[in-house]
Amino acid sequence: MFVWLHMLFAALAHSQLGHAMQTSRWGFALVEMAHLLGLAFLGGSILIVDLRILGVILKNESAVAIGRSLTRVLIFSLVVMAISGIALLSEEAEKCYLSPAFRCKMALLATAIVFYFTVHRIALRRKEMGTSSLWPRAVAVISLLLWLGVGVAGRAIGLL
Amino acid sequence: MPFLQQFCHALYGSSFGTMLRESNNAFSVIESVHVLSIALLFGTVAVLDLRMLGLVLRPIPVGSVARGTLPLTWCGFAVSVTSGFLLFWAEAEKMYANPSFRAKLVLLALAGFNAFVFHTTIFRRAREWELLTLPPWRARAAAIASLTLWSGVIVAGRAIAYF
Repeated sequence: MFVWLHMLFAALAHSQLGHAMQTSRWGFALVEMAHLLGLAFLGGSILIVDLRILGVILKNESAVAIGRSLTRVLIFSLVVMAISGIALLSEEAEKCYLSPAFRCKMALLATAIVFYFTVHRIALRRKEMGTSSLWPRAVAVISLLLWLGVGVAGRAIGLL
Repeated sequence: MPFLQQFCHALYGSSFGTMLRESNNAFSVIESVHVLSIALLFGTVAVLDLRMLGLVLRPIPVGSVARGTLPLTWCGFAVSVTSGFLLFWAEAEKMYANPSFRAKLVLLALAGFNAFVFHTTIFRRAREWELLTLPPWRARAAAIASLTLWSGVIVAGRAIAYF
């Protein structure tokens, strides 16, 4: 099952994008910069939503309204990071495929995204209704840890 | 040698600077903290800037958004400056000559100046306009300047390694 995945990574490395990224000095830098800017917007939006759920900031404002508004920022940032991430990947696809840090990051990323659009969304509504206070807060903490994990694993790719 | 260059040379050659630079993990960890802190610093100020451009959180008054985000931004700034200073200490001599590092400091100063002007002028009268979905042009100009300058700081920061 993983053979085709491995072949996909190889195809990416040999694609036009891959060649462009591998040969261009500043191309890689520019893509990395876009990735970092996306990281900032993504991190900022998730921080504010989760700190709202935890009751640390904007306590008098609707949690659902904050979530809905900043989810648009989050989705936009994710798109930027996915596109730039694929470009970064094409520069050294084989190394990433074998990298435990990269695999960890992808697993955490998938988990974080699914978590955000399911459990997290329910927790936001629960928070709004003001019924149970502990469970939404636990969800917010898990959300922050998942996204932080994605960031740390991402850093580890380059360092390990 | 000019004084600033001597100072960088001294930091670079110091035992602490050398230890940091040659460390197996310390430099990498500090660098990771520095990179991830941009979410806390720029991510939060960006949301405030986007509110001032009428793009997010429109039902919430600008003053309330600011009250929620600015403490986070300041925390991010503290973490960034602390980790950044340590990174600088380790590589001070190289940073002195690095054009991207110099550009980063200039952009950082401009971002700070923009924030200072905003907070001492148009923001003082926030009560008058904070309920508007689209604030006055001075606030919007400050927001655009903020987004541009902080993005510049991050871009220049990344480019340091390429010089």
